[in-house]
Amino acid sequence: MTITAQEAEPYIELNGVRKGFKFGTEGISIFSDLNLSIARGDFVAVMGPSGSGKSTLLNILSGIDSPDAGKVRIGKSHLDRMGESARSSWRAHNMGIVFQFYNLLPMLNTAQNVELPLLLKPLTRRQRSARVDTVLDLVGLNGRQKQYPNRMSGGQQQRVGIARAIVADPGLLLCDEPTGDLDRKSANDILEMLGFLNRELNKTIVMVTHDPEAARFARRTLHLDKGTFIEQGMDSQ
Amino acid sequence: MSSQFKQTFVMIRANLGSLPRRAWISLSMVLSVALVVSVLIGFLSMAKGFETALASAGSASVAIIFGGGTNQEIGSDIPPEMIRNLKASKGDTGIARDANGDLIVSRETLVPVDVRRLADGADQALALRGMDPAGPSLRDGAALSGGRLFAPGSREIVVGKRIASEFAGFDIGDKVRLGPLDWTVAGHFAAGGSAFESEIWADMEAVQSAFDRQGQVQTVRVRLDGPAGLKTLQAVLAASSGTPIVAMPEVDFYVSQSERISSLIRLFGWPIALLMAIGATAGALNTMMSSVSDRSVEIATVRTLGFSRFAAFSATWVEAMLMSLVGTCTGAIASWLVFNGWQASTLGANNTQMAFQLSVTTDLMLQASLLGLAIGIVGGALPAFAATRLPLASALRNSG
Repeated sequence: MTITAQEAEPYIELNGVRKGFKFGTEGISIFSDLNLSIARGDFVAVMGPSGSGKSTLLNILSGIDSPDAGKVRIGKSHLDRMGESARSSWRAHNMGIVFQFYNLLPMLNTAQNVELPLLLKPLTRRQRSARVDTVLDLVGLNGRQKQYPNRMSGGQQQRVGIARAIVADPGLLLCDEPTGDLDRKSANDILEMLGFLNRELNKTIVMVTHDPEAARFARRTLHLDKGTFIEQGMDSQ
Repeated sequence: MSSQFKQTFVMIRANLGSLPRRAWISLSMVLSVALVVSVLIGFLSMAKGFETALASAGSASVAIIFGGGTNQEIGSDIPPEMIRNLKASKGDTGIARDANGDLIVSRETLVPVDVRRLADGADQALALRGMDPAGPSLRDGAALSGGRLFAPGSREIVVGKRIASEFAGFDIGDKVRLGPLDWTVAGHFAAGGSAFESEIWADMEAVQSAFDRQGQVQTVRVRLDGPAGLKTLQAVLAASSGTPIVAMPEVDFYVSQSERISSLIRLFGWPIALLMAIGATAGALNTMMSSVSDRSVEIATVRTLGFSRFAAFSATWVEAMLMSLVGTCTGAIASWLVFNGWQASTLGANNTQMAFQLSVTTDLMLQASLLGLAIGIVGGALPAFAATRLPLASALRNSG
């Protein structure tokens, strides 16, 4: 089943993607023929039961995993044709990732964690510092530059995670259960923030979630089951 | 600053910051490296101390004459007529003369005597050397540190500083039984820590008489009259005696003695240290593999953000090297504090105790340190490579 966005030239396009894993001698197929199109500026929630392939889809979109067959294009980049190093470099310049468990480096403070993606760019220390301050202000953590992750609540840590994801100004945000470890109020705050980034900064967002409440913040909801999209949700915003 | 350098720097910082999570296994790596370095320094300082004690005993301006076809004191026997001929010679013998025009020579004989050690009460064989009155003056660098020299013909002894401190009954004025008779300690001498300090000196005739060795002379020490003196002496000895007589510089004699034993010490020391180093390298590899495993989520996170494999490799490798550097410094400093100046003794060439001081010098600390650092370099390389090959997707799955 193919999900097609309104644009003639989708921003993200998966075509005939096949992916499987081997457990011992047994092969398990995750996707046999997955197709997906997402327009630039879209906010898509991907839902589905455990084992449906949500995380694998995110890994393929982020380039940390590659498909066994099929095409993966994001913007003008064909990830399926890139090697590991090229995909790594591509991620550094085109994508931000928000993790369920924040994945902050505990021995670095807030500013240092947020600064990480900027170390891959030819910026001076002053330029990096200015950008870090800007995004921390944007996520409501101004003044917490020196604070370490273990002194922050889950919601605050996820804000740092989002600041880190957007600090290099990527066009695409991939969010892996970004509210999975948060209480309802913190979750809603984070989802509001993602909505803001989508609406006001035109970030394309693909969010994997189990939570129907979270999915309501997306423009579209895709349901993945047994490696296939089975339903397209309606715009919620 | 290049991007690679910045990535590596921040990863090193993150690695070191996470060390408290792996405190015990990291400490075990540091200690195992320190142990290897300490053991090697221990052996090398022993060899070095032994060499120093013997090498500093020898002088190029003094020669030792051996008889009986040997160049060792034990087994050497100088025929009396050779000594008479030499003393009677009026021509150039290569031997220096004193103010009275007499040759500066000392007939000597060496007798092992059992003496009880203060520390453990064990009997140890010490070297009692009978010598002519010129004998003490033929030991360059040796000087009385207390009392006086033995009187000719008397049962008096002068004792090396090390013996006086290590064995009972050697204070000045004490009477000590050596062999069948009592001897009076007339003085102590110091010789800059050289092998001489492990000897007891006494009058030649008194020693011959006390140990029933009348007329027996093992060696003759002579003061050479210049750089060419040895060749002249060798020529004179070759012409005047039918028995094989060997004259060699005192310095060569002690160097040859030290070479054998210090080589033996090194022969044990290096293989033991290398075997331990192999064990420590395996330990380092294990530690660093644990480190990579412990940091897998962090490594995967920064790799997902776009950090390079090179940064992951070099940060892990640098961590291993820094830990081995800490271990090396710990081992080297501890060894220097413990071993440097440590008094040790061993059986010398004459089957008598020779005391010496372990000597931890810069060059041997450097040798041991290179081995310590090699443990980190070798033991860290494979885990560093593993860090670059970490499967990102599965590592990130473990982040919860």
